[in-house]
Amino acid sequence: MTVARLFLRRLVQALLVSLMVSTLSFFMMRALPGDAAMRVAAARYGHDLVTARAADAVRAELKLDRPAASALFSWWGDMLRLKLGTSAVTAAPVVDEVSHQLGYTIRLALASMGIALLFGLVLGVLCGLWPGSVFDQAWRALAAAIRAVPPFILGLFLIVAFSVEISALPAAGTMDSTSLVLPALTLAVGLSAGLIRVTRDALKSVTESGYFAFARTKGLSLNQALLRHALRNAAAPVTAYLSVQLVFLIEGVVAVETLFAWPGIGHALVHAIYARDVPMIQGTVMAMALLFVCLSALADFAILAIDPRRR
Amino acid sequence: MTFLDVRDLSVHAGTTAVVRDVSLRLEESQTYTLLGETGSGKSLLAQAIMGNLPAGLRPSGSITVFGESSTADETVKRRRLWGHSMALLPQEPWLALDPTMRVLSQVAETYQRVRRPSESRESARKRATGDFLTLGLEGAERKLPGALSGGMAQRTAFAAVRSGGARLLIVDEPTKGLDAGLRDSIVSMLKQVAANDGAVLTITHDVAAARSLGGTIGVMLDGEIVEQGPAAQVLAEPRHDYTRRLLAADPQTWGPRTQPPPLGPVLAANGLSKRFGHHQLFANLDIEIAADERFAVIGPSGSGKTTLGGMLLGLVPPDSGSVWRRSDVPAWKFQKLYQDPIAAFAPRASLRTSLRDVVSRHNLGWKEVEKWLDRTRLRASLLDRLPDQVSSGELQRIALVRVLLLRPVLLVADEPTSRLDPITQQETIELLAECLVDAGCALVLVTHDPAIAGSLASRVLTLNPPSPPAP
Amino acid sequence: MTTSSAFKPMTRWQWAGLAILALTALFSLVAPVVGGDPLVQDLDHVMVKPSAASPLGTDHLGRSMLARLGHAARLSLLLAALSVLTAAIPGVVLGVAAAWRSRWTDTMLSTIADGVLALPGLLLIVLLTAFAPGRFWPFYVGLSLALWVEYFRVVRASAQSLLRGPQVEASRLLGFGPAYIVRRHLLPELFPLLRTLMTFGAATSVLSLAALGLVGVGLRPPTPELGTMMIELLPHYQEAPWLIAEPILILLFAVTGLALVAGEREFR
Repeated sequence: MTVARLFLRRLVQALLVSLMVSTLSFFMMRALPGDAAMRVAAARYGHDLVTARAADAVRAELKLDRPAASALFSWWGDMLRLKLGTSAVTAAPVVDEVSHQLGYTIRLALASMGIALLFGLVLGVLCGLWPGSVFDQAWRALAAAIRAVPPFILGLFLIVAFSVEISALPAAGTMDSTSLVLPALTLAVGLSAGLIRVTRDALKSVTESGYFAFARTKGLSLNQALLRHALRNAAAPVTAYLSVQLVFLIEGVVAVETLFAWPGIGHALVHAIYARDVPMIQGTVMAMALLFVCLSALADFAILAIDPRRR
Repeated sequence: MTFLDVRDLSVHAGTTAVVRDVSLRLEESQTYTLLGETGSGKSLLAQAIMGNLPAGLRPSGSITVFGESSTADETVKRRRLWGHSMALLPQEPWLALDPTMRVLSQVAETYQRVRRPSESRESARKRATGDFLTLGLEGAERKLPGALSGGMAQRTAFAAVRSGGARLLIVDEPTKGLDAGLRDSIVSMLKQVAANDGAVLTITHDVAAARSLGGTIGVMLDGEIVEQGPAAQVLAEPRHDYTRRLLAADPQTWGPRTQPPPLGPVLAANGLSKRFGHHQLFANLDIEIAADERFAVIGPSGSGKTTLGGMLLGLVPPDSGSVWRRSDVPAWKFQKLYQDPIAAFAPRASLRTSLRDVVSRHNLGWKEVEKWLDRTRLRASLLDRLPDQVSSGELQRIALVRVLLLRPVLLVADEPTSRLDPITQQETIELLAECLVDAGCALVLVTHDPAIAGSLASRVLTLNPPSPPAP
Repeated sequence: MTTSSAFKPMTRWQWAGLAILALTALFSLVAPVVGGDPLVQDLDHVMVKPSAASPLGTDHLGRSMLARLGHAARLSLLLAALSVLTAAIPGVVLGVAAAWRSRWTDTMLSTIADGVLALPGLLLIVLLTAFAPGRFWPFYVGLSLALWVEYFRVVRASAQSLLRGPQVEASRLLGFGPAYIVRRHLLPELFPLLRTLMTFGAATSVLSLAALGLVGVGLRPPTPELGTMMIELLPHYQEAPWLIAEPILILLFAVTGLALVAGEREFR
């Protein structure tokens, strides 16, 4: 029952956000200065080869030749059938381009989430088990300082620190497997700093709770009490934190991918904006928003699995 | 055999002693009851004996459990006894149960992991299921603590403690927030523990519970035992002045009051019904309350007393039926006192501001406020504080002043004293009764305590526990 | 919702944060006046070290860093103040309305908020910048549209529990009307929450502007803006490391000040 309701809520959200992005893209297409079709055709075939026929073809493709209202409905219809058109620049289908880039973005997101979980959870648990210790205070202070630094500044630091020889932006790209390290680390550092604090606070509040004390006085050993009564209760707020943090993962992806020339969706979005490539803008923003909604849904279900009170 | 021998136990917070030189002995098959009001250091004493005082508190003295002596700060020695030899049933059993674990598992894990580590999971669960049956908890096995009533949570925590096999049981405020029926059942469970080769140290502010537990009683005041002896003797011939006041505050001992003559009706309810989920709280109630009348609604927790009180004031819509309130006076002539007075005040406004707001809204004079403050024996300087900076007893009296300013014709008082200490409770009820006479106001008292209802009211309506879902 | 009801005075850290913010604001007011024109180039004096003549040095085109940073800081703070106010007012009003009015109003407003929530704020701003590349208004509109939801949700949740609670019930019984309930019960409880939300919103604004400037879809050079300055100065890191450090420090200064004012509590 609860699962169905959560699923429905996320579905409605996905629909609303798709309509919103699609409508904005539609008006963007018509609001851009100059003859959009001519510009796209020029970008696509080269300035010398633009003909009126080519421009007309583009015009029809982008529905610029129809009255606004009917065009908007047909634009929505296309969007709902995932007919996102072709890139105005490369003429490749947007869906193909985006699904290719999505793979890179997901790899980056997973890698940074993995690093963040590893460091954040381990350090957070250690701090939470000995609150007030020197270890705890040192890591908390460090984590607080790191949280004040946004990911793109961290990215700049890392670029400067690891590729000192640069004269322009490093063409990090995807040359080899190590090129994932810097962007993933950039995103992970901030996430794990937050995780340390949340994990520590959650564990501390659990071990100071009445039910933890009761578990001890009814005879369970410290380890038994931790395993049976602390972990599950501390995991709930940590998962909730991660779910809220997803916004910053998605937002961070845009800046970090561009900074490190990682060929994911964020990078593609920025390029589409440069090029005024409206179908690509629509496709990439929609893909990121839907990725965000899906991840949020996953987080919802994880929380549900951890905390039986919510079922 | 001596189960517990405490000598000169003190607990220090910084330089002040919050528990001072307490000595007590508890033999096999006996009960010992520490009686005293909130803040007298009773709970800290229990934690000091167990060896789990909060950080920052230092114990001193010696504690001997089952013949093994330790100084009060050698907590490691006593920790080894936890679960299988000595155990603590904490107050607020809801907070003692893991909110995310089904309750049967919380009992079974003690069988399996504390009593005999070799036991299989299935047989531990079978024993726990047996306990649930004997304690009247059948059907609750798969529930989470949040779905239990206060009494059920108390019995579950009791089962979890008993399953470890401890013969020395320390119990902290076992009857807090429970109505008379539940109180009797928990008391008889504790007496059974003592009868079966155990021993029980109970900490309570509840004179009635102490009376039925019997055994030895120690009366605590400001961290010290001021009087101790056999229950019958202490309760019958108290020697210390504080014990006498405490006993006099027991509602059981209050006599009925003279009632004002009945006048015309201020409120009439017809055919009131309310369901809560699948439970029928009450059906087809007819109530008529006359001016100046004292009317009481009693019933166990969950019976819909508070809901009925809210319904009479028009705060809760009935499922069916109607409420008529005297229409020739403004709506604000019908007022309410809350169980938890602090929840009924704007927390960031000083009490003076809150009262001044009422005075200016209704064009009264500040003189009125001073008059009622005087009448309720409150110092005016209290008003410069915030609601959480005065005691609950004082705040309830200020709440009383606030409603009396409006010269109400009817006051619904919802458990107005259930969170107060016995002596404060008695004073507050006394003042409430006197002020109502002065103000010429009718009363609907909602309470779980038949003794208070009987002493204050001329008519009592008893609500039954909610009926199970109709087929 | 709050356990201790007494109004909490500002902590030492919060005062420190306020002082840092005040210094940043002062810098943004004074530096543009003292530093001169942020666009005038002087190719004879490029990448000059900080000195008495040019306190923060000059950039790779010989422009005064003092003037450029001052203007950039002013722009960031202005954007933060504008978008936070624009978001807070409708957010609070709608939040109270959703808590107070019929279920239907609540459902409708909450669904809209849910929809907006599904689009991370930065993406909304990027979408809007495509309408008017290099202009200021997409940031203002995008941030306000993204930020109001946060106020709405927090205000709705706490107003709902307050309005159903005994303190409001008691006041209604005592004969007080809606204006009194808002003034005496709602606002005092909401105020500390709003303070936290506003500082977070302001930090989000400052960071969004800089992040998009950095990746090249924000304001356009030569407009002085912290993010664009960082990316312009990054190639000159080796010859003049202090240059790129300056906009970064200003940004961290502002964000740290805001984080300190917000205090221990974090919404994210």
